[in-house]
Amino acid sequence: TTGSQVSSGLQDLSLRDRGGRRRDFHDLGVNTRQAMVHVQESKTGFSGKRIKLSTNHFRLTSRPQWALYQYHVGYSPELEARRLRSALLFQHQDTIGRTHAFDGSILFLPKKLDSKAWHSNAGFVTELLSRTRNGEDVKITVTLTNELPPTSPTCLQFYNIIFRRLLKMLNLQQIGRNYYNPSDPVSIPNHRLMVWLGFSSSILQYEENIMLCADVSHKVLRGETVLDTMHSLHSQVGEERFRDACAKELIGLIVLTKYNNRTYRIDDIDWDNNPKGTFRKSDGSEMTFVEYYKKQYNIEISDWLQPVLISQMKRKRGENIQGSVALIPELCSLTGLTDKMRSDFNMMKDLAIHTRLAPEQRQRELGRLLSYIQKDDNVQKELRNWGLSFDYKSVSFTGRVVQGEKIFQSGTMFDYNPQFADWTKETRSLPLIRAVPMDSWLLLYTRRNQDVANALLQSLFKVTPAMGIHVSRPSMIEVDDRTEAYLRVLQQRITPDTNIVVCILSSSRKDKYDAIKKYLCTDCPIPSQCVLARTLSKPQTIMTVATKIALQMNCKMGGELWSVEIPLKQVMIVGIDCYHDTVSGRQSIAGFVASLNQTMTRWFSRCVVQSRGQELVDGIKACLQTALRNWSKWNKCLPSRIFVYRDGVGDGQLNTLVNYEVPQFLDCLKSIGNDYSPRLTVIVVKKRVGARFFAETGGGLKNPPPGTVIDTVVTRPEWYDFFVVSQTVKNGCVAPTHYNVIYDTSQLKPDHVQRLTYKLCHMYYNWSGIIRVPAPCQYAHKLAFLVGQSIHREPNLMLSDRLYYL
Amino acid sequence: MDKNFEEEFTHIIKFQPPLYKQRHQFVKDLVEKYKPKKVADLGCADCSLLWMLKFCSCIEVLAGLDICANVMKENMHTLSPLPVDYLQPSERSLTVTLHHGSVAQKDPCMLGFDLVTCIELIEHLEESELKKFPEVVFGFMAPSIVVISTPNSEFNPLFQRVMLYRHPDHKFEWSQAQFQSWALETARCYNYSVEFTGVGHPPTGMEKVGFCTQIGVFVRKHAQTGESVQSEKPTEAVYKTVFKAVYPSLKDEKYLQNAVISEVIFTAQIIKHRFMSKHKEYSDDPERKSKCQPSMDCFSDYLGKLVVVKSMEPFVSGNEVYIPLATIFSFPKVNRLCGTFEKLRKLIAGKVTLSSDGSAVMLNIEHENEEN
Repeated sequence: TTGSQVSSGLQDLSLRDRGGRRRDFHDLGVNTRQAMVHVQESKTGFSGKRIKLSTNHFRLTSRPQWALYQYHVGYSPELEARRLRSALLFQHQDTIGRTHAFDGSILFLPKKLDSKAWHSNAGFVTELLSRTRNGEDVKITVTLTNELPPTSPTCLQFYNIIFRRLLKMLNLQQIGRNYYNPSDPVSIPNHRLMVWLGFSSSILQYEENIMLCADVSHKVLRGETVLDTMHSLHSQVGEERFRDACAKELIGLIVLTKYNNRTYRIDDIDWDNNPKGTFRKSDGSEMTFVEYYKKQYNIEISDWLQPVLISQMKRKRGENIQGSVALIPELCSLTGLTDKMRSDFNMMKDLAIHTRLAPEQRQRELGRLLSYIQKDDNVQKELRNWGLSFDYKSVSFTGRVVQGEKIFQSGTMFDYNPQFADWTKETRSLPLIRAVPMDSWLLLYTRRNQDVANALLQSLFKVTPAMGIHVSRPSMIEVDDRTEAYLRVLQQRITPDTNIVVCILSSSRKDKYDAIKKYLCTDCPIPSQCVLARTLSKPQTIMTVATKIALQMNCKMGGELWSVEIPLKQVMIVGIDCYHDTVSGRQSIAGFVASLNQTMTRWFSRCVVQSRGQELVDGIKACLQTALRNWSKWNKCLPSRIFVYRDGVGDGQLNTLVNYEVPQFLDCLKSIGNDYSPRLTVIVVKKRVGARFFAETGGGLKNPPPGTVIDTVVTRPEWYDFFVVSQTVKNGCVAPTHYNVIYDTSQLKPDHVQRLTYKLCHMYYNWSGIIRVPAPCQYAHKLAFLVGQSIHREPNLMLSDRLYYL
Repeated sequence: MDKNFEEEFTHIIKFQPPLYKQRHQFVKDLVEKYKPKKVADLGCADCSLLWMLKFCSCIEVLAGLDICANVMKENMHTLSPLPVDYLQPSERSLTVTLHHGSVAQKDPCMLGFDLVTCIELIEHLEESELKKFPEVVFGFMAPSIVVISTPNSEFNPLFQRVMLYRHPDHKFEWSQAQFQSWALETARCYNYSVEFTGVGHPPTGMEKVGFCTQIGVFVRKHAQTGESVQSEKPTEAVYKTVFKAVYPSLKDEKYLQNAVISEVIFTAQIIKHRFMSKHKEYSDDPERKSKCQPSMDCFSDYLGKLVVVKSMEPFVSGNEVYIPLATIFSFPKVNRLCGTFEKLRKLIAGKVTLSSDGSAVMLNIEHENEEN
């Protein structure tokens, strides 16, 4: 019972901490390494050049023999009210001490109580006597139930709670999971944005030490209420499209309220309700919103006609209580960015100035946080009382930079500067591995874009011969700038011979793009390329643009660009990523991409579309089966090794993956045949991690070069995991990608798994350079995104052997 | 004072809403009536009354005092400004401070308050403290209004359980006569008038026992004449400040300036957006485009400039759109924030790109190309 009690107790603790639910974001207690014998001794690689790195991890130091004592507190007679229980217990502060954490039944103390009595069936018991104001005597029994070593999961969770308390003591504001400093905001009035600087923190058991991983975090807030946004939407789109526009813009966003310190997610808008509507209070009485906010918070709601926002409450204290909260738009402020804002180049540029911090800057900001902690007396006192302290200097150690990969293209092999992780220049005007001719193709454009269409065509004629792509004259078709006009032409003019359709769009209106993509991915499976007229309008860049488009189209038709050396034979590589459509229908889409050939230049792509509540994995199983069938068609045998790179796994979902998804993969392989037992490796890919690494060079800090592998010190002892920095960034800090091998029967050395992973980051054809994740993950992402954003159902399988979604 | 125990005995006699809420509501009503600017809560305990009062828009200074720092610390963060308070600073200023100390001691930080509340406080005082209490609150702090609430012992027999006091920490509980005589004497001594009331009505037929909580509202008889009383006051601070929060307010130049700049630029963007979409209808025809744009020559021309200053219309010159400040000032939100045109100019000086004569906000045309 103690196990479940511990976690439920801590959940309550965190409830008090924040009033929200808490998942185990750190996937504590998922011990996957122990099942993999070949990495018991060591999970580190060896190849490459050594590099001195520092990081944003700080060692936690505690007094010797540090332990956390967990007590169960019982009352006789039984008492219900938590407040009363706590008040009665702390009448005995002399005994209990000032430093404690108590949730009503479980008490944590940094010290062991002097226990008078030993009960054979209950352990050490301290009995206390309190008196209620009714004059009733209550016996309190404090029983020691557990002595937790510093590395136990409970203790780690506990450290995190304590650390959050400290941040709160520093007057930082909690928004979501992180803490922010509100007193020194950066304001970007052009876009009505405000940026708060803050910190994300987590304390975990790493390879050798318990460490604090702290990172600078930026919170984008908006200086307007939801009602303001609704007003400006109304003026932009007019009455007719107003409700739709509101739903698109607002649903899924996180809001802060004027009256409490909580965040809510907007899940729906109730247009039939308004502030004069009533709701039922917990005591059963009914009240209008207007009255409630006036009475409770002295807030006058000025607009009585606004609709009401609905936020679903997720879980409450571990139980599944579904409920919803109604919020008044006028009293809610928006946080974060919408997709629309993200696609606003100027806005993102203005934001990046403030949020993209270079390595040195980032470490400086982090140093500021630590100095707050170090200098604040109250914080130091709290730390001392628990017997905890931090090493204020970040951890440094050695990583490795693995050898750069050679790129092969049509029989030639070439080097490029590994520092830039980009071979755009080097491959220019080289023949492709496989060039698909464009013998029969359509070019659609509107009247005003006729010149642009011609310019594109001429440029294509110029750039394609060197690549080895044969381009014939297309059917040039002028269309009206209406969605129906495009679709009609497509229906009429596409023949079985059509290789590809190119549409020049005059605006980035999403509905037109969606309609074209939907038609050409489902009803009429033909590769298609949409180009914005604006991108073609500048004569000085048109050649570059045409080159890119030519390559992209070639891939969409099943062409191959370049390859790297893959020493493993008979391997199938799988990439999976998910897209969650939060706006319409709440679908989830899993993109599934599997290699088809030895050189990893051809891929089989499918996706799973499913509505809320369904399990993703069933669909993935079916994908794996068809992928294996296709692989065997291409290679005349089944693969002997399968690598699955699984992206799109949320914090706290690792357990589900290990216990549910991996067994399903194995099941699926078993179902292929009795004598078929390939070696399977499942690797969880995580792009959003708190860890940052800095190369220490010449007294300064720089981003580590591409190919930097980290598999010591900051990895987790219970996992077979490593970090790879594969890409480069122009601004700010490069984010490492975390790879967690959760299942592995490959018997490969960690070094080889790391190298293979890095090689695959070179294989994404939409970018002539190294990317953040293995190519199949990025392909899977692209596919899931296209389907989730535009198509909303599974594309036609006729296209599945081509990268039609690039 | 202590909600837990109150809750417990509402089992027997149920008050709806709970008694502590009724006491808080009583104070809130009083605040609504007298609109005090500075309010202190003595014996503020878990800060729940202060939390409620922070939403009262007339209050600019809130202070709490308690003998137990821990109980204040438990919930003091509820008194901190919320993120939204920073995003949309309020017109009023508000400072909330918590002090650790005794009501039997004088500290200058408690001077100058309009309203002092002592809700369920005095019955926790030792005899010696109670003796000093009137001098500290009425003599030293000397606010315009003092509210004191305390249990009415005559009500106690209605609770079924046998007990001496309602809370183990109570040092006494007074009958109505006892409280009133103490209150009248105190009022007389320090020149206050006092009225008695209470919350928690007795059951019908038992009206004689009076309210469950008896309340005295003391009002100082005449306006304080200068600093006369304060002259002999010790100035040494004896309380320890355990919490202080200054709410962002538009009264603070820094926040006002941010708000104004942000509003000015945002308003300018709106005007530009409207103007450009109107402008665009013409701009497809290159000839008309040049017509409706004042040329560079025209602009540098003195006459041209004069016309521009007078005009409230935005105009384009080169790569810039000029939005006259006067137009921006005519927007209600900007107007309300700044009050005067001069103030507007002063606040945005150096922070917003203006035309050379300072009459218009300059925005780059480039930004517009995103939409369609």
